[in-house]
Amino acid sequence: MNEIEQTGLATMRDCWITGGTSFDLAPVGWKEIAGSANPDERERRLLAIAAQALEIALRPAAPKTLKRRPPLPELALPMLPERLRPLFRAALKQAADARGKSRVVALVASRGFVLHPMDWMPAASDQTSPDVYAPWVDWQAGVDGEKHTRREQLTAENWDDFYPAARRTALADMRRTAPAAARQLIETRGSSEPAEVRLALIALMHFGLGADDVPFLKSLSADRSGKVRELAGRLLARLGEHGQPGDGGPEDPIAELAAFITEGKSGFIRRRTTYAPAKLKSPAQERRRAELFETCNLVDLAARFGVTESDFIGAWQFGADNNVDILVARMVAASGSDAAVAHMADTLVAEGGKPALFVLHLMPRLDSRRQRVLVRLILKDTQYLGALSLAEGVEAGWLDWADLTNGKTLPALRTAVAGNDDAVKRGVDQFLETLGFLATAAAAEKLIGDVVAAGMAPAAPSLGLLRLNASLTGP
Amino acid sequence: MKTIEALAPDQASLSSASKLTKQSNWPRLEKNEQLALIWGECQGSGSNPYRVVVDTGDHGYKCTCPSRKFPCKHTLALMWIAATAPASFTAAGSTPEWVNDWLGRRRKITSQPAAPALGAGGKSIGEAARDDENAAVEDAAAIERREAAQRKRAEDTRSSVSAALDELDQWISDQLRLGLAGFVDNSSDRCRRIAARLVDMKATALAGRIDEIPSRLMGLRSEERPDAAIRELGKLVLLAKAWRSTPDDAELRRLVSTSESREQVLANPEAIQVESVWEVLGEKIETRRDGLVSHSTWLLDLKSAAPQFALLLDYFPASAGRRSNAFTPGDRFDARLVFYPARQPLRALVVERKGDVSSGQWPDFGFDAVDPLAAHVAHQDTAPWLTDSPVMLPPGAILLDDRGDAWWQSADDPHGIALPIADTVSPTLLGLDLAATAALWSGSRLHLLAAQSGFGRLDLS
Repeated sequence: MNEIEQTGLATMRDCWITGGTSFDLAPVGWKEIAGSANPDERERRLLAIAAQALEIALRPAAPKTLKRRPPLPELALPMLPERLRPLFRAALKQAADARGKSRVVALVASRGFVLHPMDWMPAASDQTSPDVYAPWVDWQAGVDGEKHTRREQLTAENWDDFYPAARRTALADMRRTAPAAARQLIETRGSSEPAEVRLALIALMHFGLGADDVPFLKSLSADRSGKVRELAGRLLARLGEHGQPGDGGPEDPIAELAAFITEGKSGFIRRRTTYAPAKLKSPAQERRRAELFETCNLVDLAARFGVTESDFIGAWQFGADNNVDILVARMVAASGSDAAVAHMADTLVAEGGKPALFVLHLMPRLDSRRQRVLVRLILKDTQYLGALSLAEGVEAGWLDWADLTNGKTLPALRTAVAGNDDAVKRGVDQFLETLGFLATAAAAEKLIGDVVAAGMAPAAPSLGLLRLNASLTGP
Repeated sequence: MKTIEALAPDQASLSSASKLTKQSNWPRLEKNEQLALIWGECQGSGSNPYRVVVDTGDHGYKCTCPSRKFPCKHTLALMWIAATAPASFTAAGSTPEWVNDWLGRRRKITSQPAAPALGAGGKSIGEAARDDENAAVEDAAAIERREAAQRKRAEDTRSSVSAALDELDQWISDQLRLGLAGFVDNSSDRCRRIAARLVDMKATALAGRIDEIPSRLMGLRSEERPDAAIRELGKLVLLAKAWRSTPDDAELRRLVSTSESREQVLANPEAIQVESVWEVLGEKIETRRDGLVSHSTWLLDLKSAAPQFALLLDYFPASAGRRSNAFTPGDRFDARLVFYPARQPLRALVVERKGDVSSGQWPDFGFDAVDPLAAHVAHQDTAPWLTDSPVMLPPGAILLDDRGDAWWQSADDPHGIALPIADTVSPTLLGLDLAATAALWSGSRLHLLAAQSGFGRLDLS
């Protein structure tokens, strides 16, 4: 279309928009085509020519402001095979909450695959997805492409070449292999980062935490951020370091918490010290006690009673008050030494029964052997199967068929599936999803057959994760 | 399972179906592998069980329940059991009477080559032979009377459509006189009125097209609508003129009044048949203003050196429709298609489906055209009344403008042509290099169907 035609078309267009006859405004060549007909027909012919001119000769004007996102980085693991993608999508859809969804993702990663980016992407703020997704987390956060090459060691010099998620992953790996070097990096480069980033970096210190870390952690008591000071205090407590000594007066939180705990004796022949939650007079006092448990450290509380951490836990009367037991378990998980955590887990699991469930709060601090012992115990007992779904930080895909057949789990499951109680069935659905995460591929397959034989619909959505698990037999 | 997901009218049906997959709901489950049939009786809320039959070859189905969802939960459940617990079905040598009834009634995509059809009715030789045994011999006069009546009906339709196009011409002139600004603002009412007139005068297909103009305009920014209105109305002028010059042209008759039947297409010697491997690019399911649901399935010919597409188009009433066939985007299969005769053959029927093919890359189309819309322009040269064309775009990427709207742009031409995208796109797509993108170009917007990328095939429809 030449310039004259373009100008003609623009004026005809304006004329038609307001309404009227455009023949006199048309380019000469177009008039010739339309010329001999009656006025209405002339306009229609011009309209047809104009329509095709707009369709063929013009293109949308590309805005100057078009922005291209950096390319999405490829990840270090192979992508989930195409045939398994529908199974993954079904399992992800069935997962009720973010935790359930992250389990589905973790199971796939544990079998050596990453997901198709159109099926699942981590959020920019994600800090819980498997490490392999760090490049995607950084991409989501809007940074421009990878600047460091993969497998490059993080150093003080190339610190800025790594994006936050990639840096966290590199530091976590480093803490496992060379904790001192990683600490030095956090010390030298972390101090200039904003509080939120500093907090995430200090949190990485729990990998390979050791006595060498004490001086640095102590230096953080002067940090600008209250959250960083609190986290450093908890990490120090895990190493047996006492916090700021209180004056023992009513303002001292440790003294205040100790006042909410009753010290007693039990046993006729060998008198043992016991600790139990004191009976309180008001909900306000109970709230205060809960707050104190959230902020105080185990090592300081035990010292207040003049005993070791393990002695304090050994003497605590689990079962007297559920809510307080949970608070104690959380305090141990957050600030107890490795030895205290292991002691509490071993003692309660050995005793079995309901108190063993408090060990679920310690899961992220336990080694995989102890985690598995607890899961097997809960399965064998079957009384508290629902509690399994609360377990955090457990490895995926290790539970064998033998673990399920060793005890009353399967009979209980079959009875629940065959029954008509909707509430029980909902519990079964949740339990099956948990097993979908924990089971080996072979166990998942057998379990599907078992519950279907018991009367569960073969296509039940709650079997989604088990179906995916059974199909994931490694790259 | 993918097929069942694709067939389900909505998620609620899927979840209801999953509850029905218990064996206890199905007192009878049988199959006949030779006929590729599964059937069963599902104990529903009524006193009699619902009877369900599914053709596992082409996913045709029938259920006796009163549900207005197609397929219903019973059909989905039966397919689900077949996919997850095939052992539940007892092999049956013969099919029950009610299954036979259904088989007799349905028009199945046969796996035998289509027999030469006998005129517009298109009966197979076998059927014709059976008819011959029973039917009384018609005398020549009766045949002559019937053909004369047919000729008269066709003549009446032609003159009615011709009058309809006269009205349409007048209506277009009125819109120009009154001003396109007013037309854009009131397009819904104005188009409804003329469309109703066209239906009365047997220009049904054209009425359906005009009924869709308002939604096509509303999908654009207000400043673009006058140009779009010029394009839409100008194309109607061209279509009306083309029909007047050759009213018996199959393509033009299809666009103005009615489509041929399946049998007529198969019987038409001008209908091209193509045997190839096809990939399902994507599908569009739209409820139209005339109460029909249009279900478009777009296919790509994987054996063709240049991008060749096919469109499987089904219409069914929104209230009581059924999909005759279900494909999942990404499926590949070996099949023979017959194309409705047209200047740019696109709409097609599956004549014979031979089996599935494993997935992979698209062919290397060796993009050399500077203009990514060259194929669309070529279509317009031969059939300027067409609105949407499928296009295969060269390597490119999706970018955002400062309003957050998405554009496709060629990788080799970063400052040249960019094409605006109709829908919102997944943010993930913005980080992927697209080696090739299949889309529909509507003259003003791209509707993405599928793409190939470093992460494999992307389903974008």
